[in-house]
Amino acid sequence: MSSSTSLIPALESLVYSLVPASRNDEPLKNELVAHCQEILTSRIGQSHEPDIGHLADSVKRQLLQSTPSGTTALKFTNLLSRLLDQHVLSKKHASIQFLQSLASSRLLSSSSVPFLPSLAPPPPTRPSPSPSSLEQSSTLLQPSRKSKAEQLSEYREQSGRPHLPEYLLLRDTLYLLQGISGKYIRLSSQNDSNQLEFVDNTKYIISAPTKALIHRLSEVGYLYSRVDAFVREREGSSGVGMIEQSLCHHLQTKLTEYYRLIAVLESQMPSVNVSGGGSATDLRDRETSLTLRRLDVWINEWRLRMRMMSVCVEGARESQGGALVNLIHSYTDNGDPFIRKFTDQLLEEVSKPFFSTLHKWLFSGELYDPFNEFFVAMDPGLAHVQYMHPSSLTGNINQLAGDSFVSPDQDDPRDRRGGLTIWQAKYKFEQNMLPMFVGEAFGRKILSTGKSLNFIRYSCHDSDWVVTREKMSNTGGSLKYSDIAGLERSIDAAYSTASQRLFDVFIEKFRLLNHLSALKNYMMLGHGDFADQLINALGPSLSRPANTLYRHNLTATLETAIRSSNAQNDPPDVLRRLDARMLEYSHGEIGWDVFTLEYKVDPPIDTVIHPDAMVKYLKLFNHLWQMKRIEGALSRGWMRVAGGARSTFLRLPDLEPSWHKMRIIMAEMIHFVKQLQAYCQLEVIECSWKVLVEFLNKREGDLDAMNDAHRTYLDRLVKKILLLSPKAGREENVMNQVKDLFVTILQFQDAMENFYNFCLTESTRRDQRLDFDRGLYTGPQDPNSSLEENLPRLLQPVDDYGSQFSEKVQTLVAALQTHPDLDCRFLGVRLNFSEYYRGKQQKEKEKERAETATPK
Amino acid sequence: MPSQESDRIASAQQTLDILYEMSQLLNTHLDKETLTTCVRMIESGINPEALAAVIQELRRENAALVGRA
Repeated sequence: MSSSTSLIPALESLVYSLVPASRNDEPLKNELVAHCQEILTSRIGQSHEPDIGHLADSVKRQLLQSTPSGTTALKFTNLLSRLLDQHVLSKKHASIQFLQSLASSRLLSSSSVPFLPSLAPPPPTRPSPSPSSLEQSSTLLQPSRKSKAEQLSEYREQSGRPHLPEYLLLRDTLYLLQGISGKYIRLSSQNDSNQLEFVDNTKYIISAPTKALIHRLSEVGYLYSRVDAFVREREGSSGVGMIEQSLCHHLQTKLTEYYRLIAVLESQMPSVNVSGGGSATDLRDRETSLTLRRLDVWINEWRLRMRMMSVCVEGARESQGGALVNLIHSYTDNGDPFIRKFTDQLLEEVSKPFFSTLHKWLFSGELYDPFNEFFVAMDPGLAHVQYMHPSSLTGNINQLAGDSFVSPDQDDPRDRRGGLTIWQAKYKFEQNMLPMFVGEAFGRKILSTGKSLNFIRYSCHDSDWVVTREKMSNTGGSLKYSDIAGLERSIDAAYSTASQRLFDVFIEKFRLLNHLSALKNYMMLGHGDFADQLINALGPSLSRPANTLYRHNLTATLETAIRSSNAQNDPPDVLRRLDARMLEYSHGEIGWDVFTLEYKVDPPIDTVIHPDAMVKYLKLFNHLWQMKRIEGALSRGWMRVAGGARSTFLRLPDLEPSWHKMRIIMAEMIHFVKQLQAYCQLEVIECSWKVLVEFLNKREGDLDAMNDAHRTYLDRLVKKILLLSPKAGREENVMNQVKDLFVTILQFQDAMENFYNFCLTESTRRDQRLDFDRGLYTGPQDPNSSLEENLPRLLQPVDDYGSQFSEKVQTLVAALQTHPDLDCRFLGVRLNFSEYYRGKQQKEKEKERAETATPK
Repeated sequence: MPSQESDRIASAQQTLDILYEMSQLLNTHLDKETLTTCVRMIESGINPEALAAVIQELRRENAALVGRA
């Protein structure tokens, strides 16, 4: 030893100070120094731990034991921290260890360091009362000092079947707790059943209760190995969801805690004392250090925890994302505070990725969910469809006025998916991924909020607003599982702002209301002057076969009609969307059948006014346009009947009764059409419009609500104007009757026109005859056109159509009276004003009755 | 530099004081001088537990001597 020379003076001084007698006794001093040197060179205390923290802990524990109040321990901590600040000493822990070992050697009564103080049983100091027969048979030197357990174990040792020493079992059990097979107890890996296998040993036996205990303990080890395997597997594999990753992380933290416990327990293992029992230190060990039973107590809490973890792990294999959160959440409703606390903690951790996704979705409308864990799922087919609103590039819709529209038949079918499809199908709600603590109503709200934001951002190109709002929302704190009330508040707030904004964007930026009213005015002929102009300008050409019509003519006429009516005051953005075109026609159809007006909308308005709605508008236009046509025809006819035929230039007094009859029929027809029109315009369109506008002004709900409102509006219009009945298969019965009536009116008009023409010629003929009688030559006589011959041929159809019409209206009224819709029934009442048709019916019935009665 | 030297001495003194206080807390019954010697020995690389054993041995020896006397 090189330092031995420098050591001796130091040792000498120690000897002097500790053994004062040696100061005068040279040989004694030398002897002591030599002895000391011997001790120092021996191998005492080679196994010291270099960890100062651990050392400090054990010192503190020691201090706590001597003075339970803790003041000394506190003081020690204080001193230690001060010592650590000093830089003079290089081996601080050694110094402390020195002090500690010196101190512990002085605390003889409780010198060992008990980690498990509360578990220390009262020391078995009680001497055994009377020597038993067993004791007598033994060959122990001090039988009275042995406890009965010791006697028993010695007996067993002697009988050749000693129990396996507990420290060996303990070591194996600690291995088992880490999922490792021990020397005496193995985890059998065969046939997956995870059984424990006790290695047969002829030298030792393991008693049944101990086996049971080990079985109990090894459950934790088994669960541990499952959890550990899961964590490892997930760590290795790719494509693991974020929620699962966070679960794994949490499990890993828990496992680390578990490792710590195992390490502490291991340090409490009784030192392997090969020399056998009986010594004082062994007894002390047994009192304070680990036994299987103590291990059981220590591990007990972990058993529960491991079970929970293993359940979570099992669940994670089957479910994913939100469903996993759900699964964990289902364990929070537990009466056991331990389980509740554990799951709450777990959920707090596990739901973090969920909440970060939620935050992004709720405040910026972005779905960042690479592993499909969120309860909002994106339709991959629509993911790329983010159509560009062309005007957004220039920021002004009006600049587009010159651009031509892409005609629908040139559209790529993929681009035809309007805003509605995107709105409805791009994001889907995944019920099973929705965490239960959110609740379905809120889930829907969240979906709608995110959708709105996404829509504002991509379809309405208003991302600035979204970004600003996102920034603002970031100050409001984060979403957490533990703060459900706050979560609900922020969801509500986000929902209302997003919906509000969506309404603002639609109504103010995209002028939804303008478009809707334009649709009402043009497609549903709300602008009467415009419709009149259009029908007057188009009327003659529409009577021609459809194939003689040209679109440019139609559009030009439309332009004229707009210019010459009040419609010219509408904003140009509305007018440029209006277009006239022909539907696809087949042979034999005339212009009236195929002409249609069209109103074109572009994204994002087409989310509300979507193509399906457009079809309905076209249908309505068709019907109303027909009605208008009838009205026009009737008013022209009435001019003939009331003005021309009445005596201005037709001087045929003998035909006056026929004309009178015709006027009566015509008045009936006019009444019919006027009532129908009034019903459509006033009772259906205006009333529904009022409801819609009220809704839009209220600005409540989201885009879905807006869509719904528009859909109900439109459905109501279609249902009432087309007089549809809800009976399956007979929806259009009444409608067909009305159309039939229209046809009859037109036929009547034709017949009347013929009759009028005939009357004109007849009148001319009579004038000619008069002139002839007076001796004026007026041309060759037309002998064929005699009044008597032609009159019945001409009057017959007029009469026929007149009575046909009357009958048909009668059946229509009857049908309307039983119509399920109240408004339609009311139309029946108006058509049947003062019970005209009912009276007629009754009169006929009475007549029939009279006829049947008279022959008798 | 003398000032540095004096600093070092002062801090060594402080360290010793702390250790002494600790030893008092732990009831080691060491006086300050012995403690200084021991700390110096530990710093020079002596195993602390062995040193503790030495101290105990010497104490025992002393007790025996006193008892004999």
